[in-house]
Amino acid sequence: MIETIDLHKDYRIGKVLFPALRGIDMKIEDGEFTAIAGPSGSGKTTLLNIIGCLDVPTRGKILIDGTNINELSSRRKAELRKTQIGFVFQTFNLIPVLTAYENVELPLVLLNLEPDKKKERIVAILEEVGLGEFIGRRPNEMSGGQQQRVAIARALVKEPTMVLADEPTANLDSTTAKEILALMQELNEKHGTTFIFSTHDQLVMDYSRRTINLRDGRIVEDKRKPKGPR
Amino acid sequence: MKLLNIAWRNVFRHTRRTIITAAAISVGLSSMIFMNTMMNGADKMASRNIIDFETSHLEVFAKDYYREEGVFPLDTIIENPRYIADGIKDIPGIKGITPRVKFQASISNGIDELPVLGMGIDIENDRRIFETGNSVVAGRYLQNSGDVLIGTDLANDMSLEVGSYITIITKDRNGTYNAFDLEVAGLLNTGHPLFDRNMAVIPIAQAQELLAIEEGVTEMCIRAIDEETLGPLKEKVSEEIGAQYEVFTWKEMNAAIFEISGFKRAGQFMIGLVVVIIAAVGIINTMLMAVMERIPEIGTLKAMGFTNSRIVRMFIYEGGIIGAFGSALGCLIGLLISIYLVHVGLDFSGLFENVDIVYPMKFIIKGEIDYVNMLYVFLFGILVSVIVTLWPVRKATKLEPVDALRHV
Repeated sequence: MIETIDLHKDYRIGKVLFPALRGIDMKIEDGEFTAIAGPSGSGKTTLLNIIGCLDVPTRGKILIDGTNINELSSRRKAELRKTQIGFVFQTFNLIPVLTAYENVELPLVLLNLEPDKKKERIVAILEEVGLGEFIGRRPNEMSGGQQQRVAIARALVKEPTMVLADEPTANLDSTTAKEILALMQELNEKHGTTFIFSTHDQLVMDYSRRTINLRDGRIVEDKRKPKGPR
Repeated sequence: MKLLNIAWRNVFRHTRRTIITAAAISVGLSSMIFMNTMMNGADKMASRNIIDFETSHLEVFAKDYYREEGVFPLDTIIENPRYIADGIKDIPGIKGITPRVKFQASISNGIDELPVLGMGIDIENDRRIFETGNSVVAGRYLQNSGDVLIGTDLANDMSLEVGSYITIITKDRNGTYNAFDLEVAGLLNTGHPLFDRNMAVIPIAQAQELLAIEEGVTEMCIRAIDEETLGPLKEKVSEEIGAQYEVFTWKEMNAAIFEISGFKRAGQFMIGLVVVIIAAVGIINTMLMAVMERIPEIGTLKAMGFTNSRIVRMFIYEGGIIGAFGSALGCLIGLLISIYLVHVGLDFSGLFENVDIVYPMKFIIKGEIDYVNMLYVFLFGILVSVIVTLWPVRKATKLEPVDALRHV
């Protein structure tokens, strides 16, 4: 479970102090499929980065399963990212010199898995995201949708407790975006992995079961619905 | 393994950039190898000339004879060479012993007179130890009293040929001028400037007569079987013949030459260093570009949980691979140049004609390849590449993952 208590984050741009988050209090249960929505500048990426141990809050607490992650050393944070958290980025961020298979393999380099088990996992997850035939391709030989599928496979291959996706569909056309969302929803249900997105895309909000609306660094709305469209 | 794999592929992301960087390294390293080959060749030629013509491996003098190079006093000579020869001939490790008499003299062809170094040699024994006998290019080796061997250069200077007559003039031990008429029996071309330009070689008995030194000689030359370990042999000889004699190795007597050699090597090192710095700037530049253009990638890796040390290692492998390519290429080019130098050599004779030099050799320098040095140069190239890579890579490690990801 992720819990934030009075989370603040200020950015200093030149001499101006810019408050990105102004007191976020929320709880996200394990296995949720949650969108953090809002216009650009509302603080959603900042919130995701803080949850993902990539950034630190100026004030307030963030607890993951009861642990205040602010108090962790950067090494422990890296450890947490290595085992618990998968990232999906707007720009996919695949390593261009590596094939789909190798990109997915990358997070596992850090974990001590047996080679056979590793290979099994990579092939399985690539098949799950529908890229069974593309494992030998490099990013520049794949479409945007395929690249994002590789990125999702890469986020999930280490079997994390949560996947954080920052604007995962922003660089995709709407058809592809729907496919990607459907895929993530399916994976969420199947693996029970917590998915948290940031988005300003209505489509993503339609798919999510819970939408937390941010504006100017504050939660303005937190609505839940039983299940998104399939 | 995986990191090395990624680094390897990143190296070929910009093939042209990699090639240019590696080429810069290879130019630096091949010039280092080239210089080393030349220096080694020059030193080897100088050493061979000294050993094969001038001193052999060890020389025995009467105590206080050997004061400085180019001075040949007759008041402190070995009066009884047989005593020394008999004393040391059974020491293991000695290949041969021969006496020599060196003296300052001048020769005249009836018109001109030139100062030379006179040298009396034991006709039979000398050629077992020195190469002088094998360097006669015209006429014949010494046979009879009255024969003289002179260098080709000296012959040219004085318009002499085989069969010409010269007069050799010197002061004997008592300070009296003494002269002999000699017939040029043969011309020497040794490659040693002293021998080719300034030397008159005569039978030892004649030299002893000319100098009025009876059975005396100025030095005894000893050739060792193993020229690498002269120290122990010198000790044994020294012990055997007693304190009224002194023994020197050829290296001790030519310390000045090896000092020059040390200077040259320092110079060579400095030049090499400059070239390597230039190459290193190339690598720094390339690696800086590699880091800068891959900042979002670095952010992604950090987000995945990659630690700084892993990321640094990845870039170090990359710099190392480029360095290894450059070093391998540099060594290959250096080797090809060196092979050419060993077989053909560089001809400096036009450049230094008639210039008197300290270095005992002529100016066609043939190279001498030092493979161990080449290996060091290879490793040095990689090491430098890796070390200079650290600086640009520090930039990558200082970035927070958020900033790296945001960087476009």
